[in-house]
Amino acid sequence: MSFVKDTLDGVKATFTGLATTFREMVRPPVTIQYPEEKRPVRPRFKGRHVLKRYDNGLEKCIGCSLCSAACPADAIFVESAENTDDERYSPGERYARVYEINMLRCIFCGYCEDACPTEAIVLGDNYELSFTDRRSSIYTKEFLIEPVPEGGKATPQKVEPGIYTRSVPAMKDPED
Amino acid sequence: MMAKMVSLTIDGKPVEVPEGTLVVNAAKKVGVDIPVFCYHPKMEPVGMCRMCLVEIGRPVIDRASGQPLREEDGSLKIQFGPKLETACTTPVSEGMVVLGATEKVKAGREDILEFLLTSHPLDCPICDKGGECPLQNLTMGFGPGESRYLYDDKKHLAKHVPLGELIYLDRERCIQCGRCVRFQELIADDPVIAFSQRGRSLEIVSYSEPGFDSYWSGNTTDICPVGALTTADFRFRARPWELKAAASICNHCPVGCNLTLNVRREAVSGGKWVLKRVMPRQNEAVNEIWICDKGRLGYHFGAQNAERLEKPLVRKNGELQPATWQEALELVTERFQSVGRGLITLASGRLSNEDLFNLGKLTRSLGGKSILYSSMAGGDLTTQIGFAPGTNFADMGKESAILVVGSDLEEEAPLWWLRVRQAAKRGATLIVLNARQTKLDRDAHYSLRFPFGTAAAAVLALVNTLSPKRPELPESIQELARSSELKAAAKAFAEAKDAAILFGGDGMGLAETQALAQACANLLLITDHFGRPNNGLLGVWPRANDQGAWELGWQPSMNLPADLAQAQALYIVAADPVSDDPAYLNAFDGQKFVVVQDLYLSQTARLADVVFPAQAWTEREGSYTSGERRVQRYYPALQPNAALPPRVESPGSRRAQVLTGLRAELDGPQADFAIPAFLAEKLGYEGFVHASASLVFARLAAEAPSFGGLSYQKLAEVHEQWPIVGRSDLYYGGTTYENTQGLGVQLPLAQGGASLLSWPQVADFKLPKLGGIAFPITRLYDRGATLMHSQLLHKRIGEPYIILSKQEASRLKISQGGFVRITFTDAERSVVVQAKVDEGLPERVVLAPRSFGLPISGPTPVELKPAG
Amino acid sequence: MLAEKYAQEIQTILAKYPPDQRRSAVMPLLYIAQRDKMYVNREDMAEIAEILGITPTEVASIVGFYSLYYEEQKGKYHIQVCTDLPCALRGAERFMQELCSRLNIRPGETTADGLITVEPVMCLAACDKAPMFQVQSGAGLSYHENQTVESALALIEQLRSDATRKRGRDSHV
Repeated sequence: MSFVKDTLDGVKATFTGLATTFREMVRPPVTIQYPEEKRPVRPRFKGRHVLKRYDNGLEKCIGCSLCSAACPADAIFVESAENTDDERYSPGERYARVYEINMLRCIFCGYCEDACPTEAIVLGDNYELSFTDRRSSIYTKEFLIEPVPEGGKATPQKVEPGIYTRSVPAMKDPED
Repeated sequence: MMAKMVSLTIDGKPVEVPEGTLVVNAAKKVGVDIPVFCYHPKMEPVGMCRMCLVEIGRPVIDRASGQPLREEDGSLKIQFGPKLETACTTPVSEGMVVLGATEKVKAGREDILEFLLTSHPLDCPICDKGGECPLQNLTMGFGPGESRYLYDDKKHLAKHVPLGELIYLDRERCIQCGRCVRFQELIADDPVIAFSQRGRSLEIVSYSEPGFDSYWSGNTTDICPVGALTTADFRFRARPWELKAAASICNHCPVGCNLTLNVRREAVSGGKWVLKRVMPRQNEAVNEIWICDKGRLGYHFGAQNAERLEKPLVRKNGELQPATWQEALELVTERFQSVGRGLITLASGRLSNEDLFNLGKLTRSLGGKSILYSSMAGGDLTTQIGFAPGTNFADMGKESAILVVGSDLEEEAPLWWLRVRQAAKRGATLIVLNARQTKLDRDAHYSLRFPFGTAAAAVLALVNTLSPKRPELPESIQELARSSELKAAAKAFAEAKDAAILFGGDGMGLAETQALAQACANLLLITDHFGRPNNGLLGVWPRANDQGAWELGWQPSMNLPADLAQAQALYIVAADPVSDDPAYLNAFDGQKFVVVQDLYLSQTARLADVVFPAQAWTEREGSYTSGERRVQRYYPALQPNAALPPRVESPGSRRAQVLTGLRAELDGPQADFAIPAFLAEKLGYEGFVHASASLVFARLAAEAPSFGGLSYQKLAEVHEQWPIVGRSDLYYGGTTYENTQGLGVQLPLAQGGASLLSWPQVADFKLPKLGGIAFPITRLYDRGATLMHSQLLHKRIGEPYIILSKQEASRLKISQGGFVRITFTDAERSVVVQAKVDEGLPERVVLAPRSFGLPISGPTPVELKPAG
Repeated sequence: MLAEKYAQEIQTILAKYPPDQRRSAVMPLLYIAQRDKMYVNREDMAEIAEILGITPTEVASIVGFYSLYYEEQKGKYHIQVCTDLPCALRGAERFMQELCSRLNIRPGETTADGLITVEPVMCLAACDKAPMFQVQSGAGLSYHENQTVESALALIEQLRSDATRKRGRDSHV
């Protein structure tokens, strides 16, 4: 009788398997059509860096190099220069003339974010970091900086003298 | 005389220091850190900042017996004061107990820092001092984590206040320690910055014109314990921790200040290493921890820029065109060989010992003649009775005498001015013998004036009062010679235990300085002030390595234009005679073969047949011999545009040939010592090295007697120096670098000594009845090739000018700043320049600064006309 | 130029100090400068520095330190109200506020006609007679004690008419 039993078991197994197949046929698919379609990332995902701007378009980055000092992979290179009111990039006296991140080195640890005194550098949600040669692994400031927000002006700006004297935004009293 | 020693304990460590030592310094000696802001080891304490508060206990003395009381266990009974005391103003005393780490002391430090930070902006991220800031470090070490003060109550002050165009003040960051104000007053003697207002409104102001008008301003940024003072040169250029450091020697003047060159790769320069700033490096026998602003801000000449020569140039069809090294070297070899004895090599003291050695050797091998391009003579005497090994201005005090003659010392060699002044403050007898008033006169015990043109005679007048052999003195000096002040000065000089003479070329040319040097030598010889430490003759040379050139046998020519005119071929290295004096143009008649080796296409180089591009001192190794005869090493800070392909010399000759054959073609600028060696190689001469400066120096040490026994290793030796600066505790001495790369070695004196006594010919010098005589003077900031590349200093350098007497100005109807046409009668050349009027100047005397485009190498007759 | 205008006075002052300690004369010379214009300008500082052989910066530092030397032009008459604690208890602070509001200025400022500056100062040693002030002008100092706003305004009117009369007279000379 083992023959009948074996056959029945086979049929059962086939249908069990097919049931999974048919069930999955009517279920929505798990895969997505990348790159047309993108999967949302977690709130604390650490993707490609973005250099932020203030609402008026001035760059938050003041070229202090603290990100580069904090970077364990030595991926960031900053070169600063002096702002003037005729050519203002950021509040205060100093701005980043050159800002480069070598994406071959970056380990996305986020220390640069922690070190930044003006919250200028933020690890965004962009994970599309492919490049085909070493040169293009170096992301420049022009590439990293976010677009000028609506209502703001592009940098360098010509501004009234005496307004943007402070590099680091006024700190709140920790008691408050 | 040894000072009395006092023993005490600091934080449990027993210390023994000389009486009078301050507690803070005693602690430093045993490695106990007592934090300070206002105290600086090079200045008197003021006790303003209260950061150094410590607990100090002293043994209790029984009044009746005068004996110290003891505790029951036999230890000394110590009584502590009720309050904390400032370690920076309290001298040590016997049995003292200092506690620097108790709760009370910690609480005191916390409070002081909390106060200091109430109005400090905490903008460390953009502050140039951030990373090497004492306030930052001490706050991390001793400060409270939180402040009880409200952030809203912070005082907001101006953050961008230029104190002149060189130094910027951030009023918010200033913690009012007064280090800068005190430095300018006590050490630089230029009180051009000061405190204004009081309390929280206290600020530093400068009312001088131009602002912060001092040659020493940069030092205030070093000793500023916060980022309040920054140089315009380094502002926002890099963070300190990103910089690499290379030890170097300043090549602007014969002092040989020890420097540290800070470099970093720069993206806007295409990823090249770039010189970001020049910092002092401690050498207590040379520059202590200071450098002048010329050294700090005038380095751009040695930086890499578009004007630098990159390739050899060869004249083809009347024009200089780029060529390969191969081509240029072959052409020069061929021509030099054919000229042989007709070759003159003219080189200046801007070159290192190694360069001058190889150049001299090549010229000798060819049978040519080497000439030092210098406006001063007398080095034959300084090599024999110059500063002996062990000489140090810091050791000159009460028992010493210093004579400064014919030199405006602060303009010619600023650090020597500073050190001579400090010796005078310590009690050394300072005699200033000049034709005109200089800044050093303020500190002179004897301030003597000789009539213009009679420097040597004036020194002989000193000799006359001391020596039985009395040389004839010219008429014009008689009045000075009879003065009682001169006699007293001569006596003081002769009676001093140690005595040194600094002679310069103020108002003099070659012949005059030769006579002056001889007169000075006579004075030293008859008073027996030579051949031992802290005695001897010091030449205030125009260039960094003039003394080295003399030691290696180079000498200037007394009649350079004639010598040049006679030569068949010229090899001019690191000199630009044509821009200095157009009279030299006659030598470049197109008949002779001219090779120029320089960094830039100078006026002289434009006339050359072949131009070799040389490496700057920042790009290579080498050594200079300072005026004090100290041989000091400098190290490469930048990479030359194209690195020297190493010639393989050590392996077997066959292998070497193969390996050498593999090396790339010679490309880019080459070291000044290497180029003559390349030529020698082509000419087939033996004994030339070009692979490295240290190998050349090894040859030099073997062949030049006074350098015998020296090596690069020896020059790199260091020993512990006091005060201890440049370590992690930047609060103590400032951002000066510690010296770990070599203190240099002073050369032994060449033999000669007493045989040098000879009486120079001193003709009577009278000012003319008509016209005038122009005397050359030296200004620290001049329009010479080495400084004009420093844009920042242009405003200080100014336009060409001359200085007139009041009578001359009124005769020409010119006021201060007016224009005048000056005609150099001998040179048949006239120039329109600005006129400055000096009321102290005698009639008929015109002062013409060197390296300002005026053809002046010695006293020269001139005619003046107003220029509308 | 002070040196010409007050040559005699400057000589008298300098004669009081040893030649090598001329710098000690800086206070009286600054007083001359201030009396002349009611403030010390940059040129005067430079001139005094030259007379005394010190740097203009050192002179400026002294001008800055003393609150009774002025670096910029203020009113012709300085009404200096003591507002220290004892005077404040007797209403000096309120007195000054009110006086200022009547003159349409804030403490430390100058009236529109450029004549009167009201400023708070430290103790003038007349605590028992507060509210009090002193008037500082080119003519010297005068004390005014037990003041009310009305009496002060009356005095100010008097000063104003003096100034006008003087100006009128000067223009005729």
